[in-house]
Amino acid sequence: MITSGDENVVVANNVWKIFGDRAKEALEAIRKDNLSKAEVLEQYGAVVGVKDVSISVNKGEVFCIMGLSGSGKSTLVRHINRLIEPTHGEILINGVNVGNLNAEDLRVMRADKIGMVFQNMALLPHRTVSDNIAFSLELRNVDAFTRAQAAEKVIETVSLQGYGDRYPSQLSGGMQQRVGLARALAADPDILLMDEPFSALDPLIRRGLQDEFLALSKVMKKTTLFITHDLDEAIRMGSRIAIMKDGEIVQIGTPEDIVTKPADKYVADFVAGISKLKLIFAHTIMQPIAKYEKENGKLKDIDACPKADTEDDLDTLVGHAVGQDNPVVIMSDGKPVGIVTKDALLRGVQGEA
Amino acid sequence: METEKDLLKPFKEFAGPNGEYYGNTFLKIQKDTLGKFHINIAAAIGSFIWAALRGNWLLFWIAFLIDLVALINLSLMAKYSQAAIDNAEKDFLVVRYEGWSADHLLGAILVFILGRLLVGWLADRFYYNQYNKWRVNRSVNSGSKSSRLVLVAVIAALIAPLMLYRSSQFAPEARTCIKQDRAIEKGETVPFKDRFDCAIIGEFPTLVWLDRPDEITYPRDENGNRYVERKPAREGLPPLDLNKYAAQAIDDGIGYLTAFYGFFFDGITAFLRTMLNMITAVFVGTPWIIAMGAILAISYVLAGTRITIFVGASLAYLALFGFWQTAMDTLSLVAASSIICVVFGLPLGVWVGKSTRGQSIVTPILDIMQTIPSFVYLLPAVAFFSIGKPPGILATVIFAMPPMVRLTALGLRHVPENTKEAALAFGANPRQLLTKVELPLALPSIMAGVNQVVMMSLSMVVVAALIGAGGMGFIVTEALANTRTGAGVLAGIGIALLAMMVDRVVQKANPTAEK
Ligand SMILES: Nc1ncnc2c1ncn2[C@@H]1O[C@H](COP(=O)(O)OP(=O)(O)OP(=O)(O)O)[C@@H](O)[C@H]1O
Ligand SMILES: [Mg+2]
Repeated sequence: MITSGDENVVVANNVWKIFGDRAKEALEAIRKDNLSKAEVLEQYGAVVGVKDVSISVNKGEVFCIMGLSGSGKSTLVRHINRLIEPTHGEILINGVNVGNLNAEDLRVMRADKIGMVFQNMALLPHRTVSDNIAFSLELRNVDAFTRAQAAEKVIETVSLQGYGDRYPSQLSGGMQQRVGLARALAADPDILLMDEPFSALDPLIRRGLQDEFLALSKVMKKTTLFITHDLDEAIRMGSRIAIMKDGEIVQIGTPEDIVTKPADKYVADFVAGISKLKLIFAHTIMQPIAKYEKENGKLKDIDACPKADTEDDLDTLVGHAVGQDNPVVIMSDGKPVGIVTKDALLRGVQGEA
Repeated sequence: METEKDLLKPFKEFAGPNGEYYGNTFLKIQKDTLGKFHINIAAAIGSFIWAALRGNWLLFWIAFLIDLVALINLSLMAKYSQAAIDNAEKDFLVVRYEGWSADHLLGAILVFILGRLLVGWLADRFYYNQYNKWRVNRSVNSGSKSSRLVLVAVIAALIAPLMLYRSSQFAPEARTCIKQDRAIEKGETVPFKDRFDCAIIGEFPTLVWLDRPDEITYPRDENGNRYVERKPAREGLPPLDLNKYAAQAIDDGIGYLTAFYGFFFDGITAFLRTMLNMITAVFVGTPWIIAMGAILAISYVLAGTRITIFVGASLAYLALFGFWQTAMDTLSLVAASSIICVVFGLPLGVWVGKSTRGQSIVTPILDIMQTIPSFVYLLPAVAFFSIGKPPGILATVIFAMPPMVRLTALGLRHVPENTKEAALAFGANPRQLLTKVELPLALPSIMAGVNQVVMMSLSMVVVAALIGAGGMGFIVTEALANTRTGAGVLAGIGIALLAMMVDRVVQKANPTAEK
């Protein structure tokens, strides 16, 4: 059991969610007889949404939850602001058990601490962009002047200047998603829950928004749970990734962990199609100089070789290696520590470290 | 020739006897070469017997009914020519009966000949249809079986004799039958034929006779308080049938409520009257020139130039034909009813939309309210509130409220789940959820409800003239009663214009309707 504290802002301990009238019975049965999702549906008419999930999200990190459609990602994050009550388990936010909050405290927590961006945007069509953005403030009876100022500020943050007085329907999908993001940011929450915020957008706009969000989150340092069904996106955005399948988490790790050491075949299949250029670093694929020299003879002229740092990724290494006969020499603290040959580079691109 | 045989084979298998004929006919139907007037002579002659033999029960019933109608006409002819002979001394009766007799004879001949032709024409076509069904499902009747005639005999024996007996007899009057019941009660003997006639061929017989209930009145005592006084029914009055008994009970109940809870109904009446007076003061109390200007201005702002021109023309019609005050009267009634409908319908609609209990309680009531014809609502209104404008408004409110409730509920239920979820995620409480998210998003539906309420109020207010609500409807009902068609038509046009005017403006004014 993990208790959340300074480091772990959001903690989920053994969270189960089973939909259906006979959820409790079904839970007992699953624990005892280890029923599959299909069997539970058949015997109890219940759907397993989340199955024994424990995660802990550190302060300021972007924690990605990745999984196919129906794997329970949305269900899991909806537990965090208690839009869904768990069948079993607990959620702690800054050490406070969300399940024990009364209605009023829960509302205050939702309004102050947590901002949420939705898969389908869910903007209010009858309100202008500014009014949508300031919605959470309005719910807390903040006066109109303060609201307008706050809205103006976040509108700038998401670069929607000049659109404050339009209606959502007058904006493109990408702009609407920025409004969704701005709305989540308006109350300056500590935690952001983002449920596939960019999934409905075309690849170019998605890319743009991803970059913008990355830049923003570097500055804001908000603890973020970012849901996606796209591993590329998870790798771009996440400092850590949790991969879900049928309501369970099958692996949690850094993007490099996931790509280089997939926990099972399911994850491996996902990872197979992923570009490794930015995920694998020199220290992973280099071989010690001694080993290289034993196999290939003495390195003739170290100065003629291209140099790179241990933390450089494959992409950079490829750049150095192009048009060169010499291998790349990896330096650390100004001293050569390893060699990356072209063969090693090619292996690395294949994902074999 | 070989191939021709093969083509006919399934037809023959289906038809059995006379397979050659049916095979060729079906082939023609398939090739679309069957003559337009092709008739199956055997079926035309055999009629329902043919249909029964072939097992086509739809055609059987058609043919059987045709022949039965012809036979009944024949029997009616016989009845009326006998009646003409029986009443020979009364000239006017003879003329009447002989005329009827001739009519029925003609009817019998026409129905018989045309009917048989129709059956003959339908026969092969229906039979082909039956063949197609048989191909899919072999248990469908096929071939020709005389065993089916047994069923025919049973049906004919059950239906034909009674039908013919009924047509050959003059039905006894209800009064005769009541007397007969009395006589039987006293132990007199009544001929079987008369009893049979009363039981079977007249009105449905009265099965129960109930003793008269006590007469109930609600006089006041010396302190002015009402009390219930029961007097046993007067001796010698005949007993009541179920209808009269129940009607009396209902009257007693209503009488009790109005006597002891009169203050309640009076309160409602007073409230309605006050409200109506305030509204009438605006509509009728304003000089026509100002009212007209105001209406035009409102319609211009709400609905634009084109509709304002139409409104202007309609107002001119109403004014020129002397309907101004009456029309304003009607509009006040509509306004009063609509306001009440919205004020009560909206919260009710919210309840229905948000709670399953509300839905399961209110929806059936609304269903019933909407199936009852409008003027039936006048009854309870009159029973509790007597006649005049307040009960008129009340009847109108009951009639016009359902769409408000329904459309409000519908609008709330159609608010996307994820929008509500988003509001909750940002910390909305239930009240904020309702006022800031659900009601605004349901607004188009709610406005459609208001629109319908106004239109239904207008139509009901006209009907409510029957119980003294006045207004344009009064002119129409009066014209109807006195066969003053001209006046009625003019007022009718006025009502139509009024309705169109209100409809256009309300619809255009609804900002969300176009989107
Ligand atoms: N309210 C509900 N009632 C019953 N079952 C539900 C409910 N909500 C979700 N589920 C079920 O729970 C499972 C997980 O759903 P969830 O919405 O969390 O998936 P997801 O990973 O977010 O998928 P997507 O990528 O399509 O959004 C699904 O099988 C779904 O059918
Ligand atoms: Mg989802």
